[in-house]
Amino acid sequence: MSGGYCFLFRQASSVAPVPVTWAHRGRGVHYFVTPLLSRVITFALVLASLLVLALPAWAENGATTKGVPNVVPPKGEHAGKHVEQPIEFPHDIHTKVNGINCMYCHTYARRSKVAGIPPTSKCMGCHSMIATDKPRIKQLTEYWEKREPVKWKKVHDVPDFVHFTHEKHLKRFVFDNEGMSVDRVSEVCAFCHGDLKQMTVANKVKPLNMGFCVRCHEANKGPFDCWKCHK
Amino acid sequence: MSGNGVNRRDFLKILGWSGVGVAVAGCDRPTTVTLEEGKEEVVAYLQPEEYVIPGVGVWFASTCQQCAAGCGVHGRVREGRVLKMEGNPDSSINYGKLCQMGQAGLQGHYNPDRIKKPLLRKGGSLTEVTWEEALGALEQKVGAASGLAGDRFAWFTGTVSGHQSVLLSAHLAALGSQHHFVHEVINNAVGRAVNLDMLGEAMPRYRLDEAKVILSFGSDFLGAGISPVYFSTAYAKFRTGSPRGVLIQVEPKMTLTGGNADLWVPIRPGTEGAFALGIANQLLKQGVDAAGVPENIRALIASHDAEKVASITGSSADRLARIATLLKERSPSLVLAGASVEGHAHGYSAAAAVMMLNMLLGNVGKTIVAGGSSPFPQMEAKMGGTRDLIAFADAADKKNLDVVFFYGANPVYTAPSHLGLTEKLKNIPFKVAFSNFPDETALSADLVLPVLSPYEDWGTHMGIYQPEQKVVSIQQPLMEPLYPNKGFGDLLLAFLKMRKVKEYESFTDYYSYLKNAFTALPATVKGGALTNDEFWGKTLQKGLLEVPTVVGTLKPRLVEINLPEYKEDAQRPFHLVPSGRLGLWDGRHANLPWLQEAPDQISKIVWTSWAEIHPATAARLGVEQGDFLRITSDQGALEAQVYIHKGIHIDAIAVPMGQGHEEYGRYAKGRGVNPLKIISPGADARTGELALYGTRVTAAAAGRREFLVKLSSNETQLGRKMVATVTADVFNRAEPKTIT
Repeated sequence: MSGGYCFLFRQASSVAPVPVTWAHRGRGVHYFVTPLLSRVITFALVLASLLVLALPAWAENGATTKGVPNVVPPKGEHAGKHVEQPIEFPHDIHTKVNGINCMYCHTYARRSKVAGIPPTSKCMGCHSMIATDKPRIKQLTEYWEKREPVKWKKVHDVPDFVHFTHEKHLKRFVFDNEGMSVDRVSEVCAFCHGDLKQMTVANKVKPLNMGFCVRCHEANKGPFDCWKCHK
Repeated sequence: MSGNGVNRRDFLKILGWSGVGVAVAGCDRPTTVTLEEGKEEVVAYLQPEEYVIPGVGVWFASTCQQCAAGCGVHGRVREGRVLKMEGNPDSSINYGKLCQMGQAGLQGHYNPDRIKKPLLRKGGSLTEVTWEEALGALEQKVGAASGLAGDRFAWFTGTVSGHQSVLLSAHLAALGSQHHFVHEVINNAVGRAVNLDMLGEAMPRYRLDEAKVILSFGSDFLGAGISPVYFSTAYAKFRTGSPRGVLIQVEPKMTLTGGNADLWVPIRPGTEGAFALGIANQLLKQGVDAAGVPENIRALIASHDAEKVASITGSSADRLARIATLLKERSPSLVLAGASVEGHAHGYSAAAAVMMLNMLLGNVGKTIVAGGSSPFPQMEAKMGGTRDLIAFADAADKKNLDVVFFYGANPVYTAPSHLGLTEKLKNIPFKVAFSNFPDETALSADLVLPVLSPYEDWGTHMGIYQPEQKVVSIQQPLMEPLYPNKGFGDLLLAFLKMRKVKEYESFTDYYSYLKNAFTALPATVKGGALTNDEFWGKTLQKGLLEVPTVVGTLKPRLVEINLPEYKEDAQRPFHLVPSGRLGLWDGRHANLPWLQEAPDQISKIVWTSWAEIHPATAARLGVEQGDFLRITSDQGALEAQVYIHKGIHIDAIAVPMGQGHEEYGRYAKGRGVNPLKIISPGADARTGELALYGTRVTAAAAGRREFLVKLSSNETQLGRKMVATVTADVFNRAEPKTIT
């Protein structure tokens, strides 16, 4: 493990450094929450989002998709191959059957340049109680109990010389998009990731190359300077 | 090309096909960087801290370990890796700023040459062993059963402070040893002795911001000084005040500070004391009150008239008078002495002559005021010099040592050849080096314990120069250890447990020791009604704890000044100046590529050593830039490429410290030369510090030449007005009496 990714999995313990508050360094977001308060807030958010997300999901299953307003979706296809993952995670069950919002698990997408793979603790939040008898959940629980992170295979990626940020795209297509509802965010995700409601593990179905990006930026009047993406 | 029978078209064809060849060959290589799906792994957190957002940095406060100044830092951590260092705005040492050495510290942390496992000498060579085996071997030699006691054991370290220093002292006490050798090449040990004798305080507070003019004798306070970032901030205040402060620098080789000066005065090395006395002479002539000056010193001053001093120092009589006038008229002033004054056999006297100017000018109490002291003297920085290096070499020579622990120092590299340290070390049966890198000292040790990097370890520090507010600065891990090694504090605790089980058994690790030490502080230090955990959390978050600082009073008095007559040396006509620089420092940062790549502030040379000489000297020696110059002292010779610059005295040859490593990893090894190796024997008469600037040398062309790699290959502006200039006459009409 030396030199690899072992230090990614820092576990909360008493021997932990304490970060400075974000006040000195302008990232735009200032978090000043005590651990206790943040736990209360997290709990309340989880409850609220489950309530809010569950309702439109029912509605959506019945209604036809109207398309994302004020957006010309990017064009381009990619015949992605099936990628064998350590656990065959069923996106379809979570999004289509259970109607869970993409951003419930990929919670970093609206806050950071990366959408982030959900931490195992997030999975266990539900699966310590739900569907515990299923083989895939047993596999997951095994990882969790061994305190071993799941090594997923990467499906979607852009080169290191490309600066792509999920946060900005979600802001433009969802949060600052008049007439667009957060409940239908999966349609925006599908621009680049395809319709995950029809997939188990993710499959690359969009080319994610420069032409694909540029065509969309052209159609939607996105920024066109080289340095916007090639910093 | 056509001369070889290859035309342009053929050349392009060959180029094209070889490109294909490379591409085809490249297919066989396993790759981990790809856009193809399913090839790379993406690993999520198991259970992240609540504040973690992948892709967004989190800042942690810690303390910089790149020199002994102890600047507070913030480190940006993303996805579990520390990526960027910045200054901690709460620190009263660096006020949120950080120098290039602080920035480059990360390259020490991620350095490919880091030692990953303990090394034990077996049958003559160092072999990788487990920590159990390494500590077992160590316990055999220094544990309770070993019978080792008293001064047969020694610690040899760089500057140490904080709780590590407390535990280190406790370890020495547990073994009954008095031997703690503290060694720093770039130090102000002579200056501290002068201050203690003449002001009653070793480290008073220099109010650069209060001074209207600074006369600095080789004090490189902006570069290789005691606290470069602190003094840069103070210097900025000095420069932006009204009227704008004037800096005059008197030194043999232009330092970074000299490069910033309004007036730079070259001086023959070793004659700074005479120059100071010459200024004193002029001041007395101009009617400065010298009532408190005893008769013998007054006579000494009287004997240094302008003409005599000009002939000794190589400066002009007129210039002395003008500097004196400026000092007198623009009060308060500040006169400083630095390494080039102190590094002679008469360094103490020369620095005392410089300090006397402050007294004559009435600066004591205005620009030199009393510094503060903290309630925790045991945690204050233990500062070193080169005297301890001599003492250590002596102890090793007399076979007085059985076991030595080295930490934060590389004496095998820094010791001049005349000390013969490499040979003398063989007299010490068991040498332990706590080092992250295969440096010269580590590779001559019998056991190498790779400690955690400063970015992985816990600790506390007190900067060597904290004249305003004393702070205990916290060092927090900024990421998980890259290699499964042990922290320095944890090792100290382990050593103490070998001897004093009862006293230390309650501390499971160094973290618990530190937390306990902080939470046990009295309420006056903690401040506010906080629980222990709240106080500890708050302190870690801020990165430092301000402790009550008591400001004392200065007790000025004059001391005896004994300056020898300056003597020419016909056999060795040149003076060797082993200059220090902010960057490679004393050589400890030679393994950091960023600092090798960062050009020297004056010469703009990168990645190598050079011999800096005046154009007149170059003409005298018949050498040009890039020629190798062979510099010979009574201790040996070295060869370095000539760099020609007007910012050096014609009798001086400057070779920078920092290069010439025989070991120390791929970036440092075998690069340039180490001027410390050819330093002549000799030490300051009063303090016993090595006379680093007192070496006489000969120089001759070595008969070979290479292209000298440097930024800004041309010293002139080629007629383009990139930096517009006016004559002194025009300038003085606008702002009188600024240029002397």
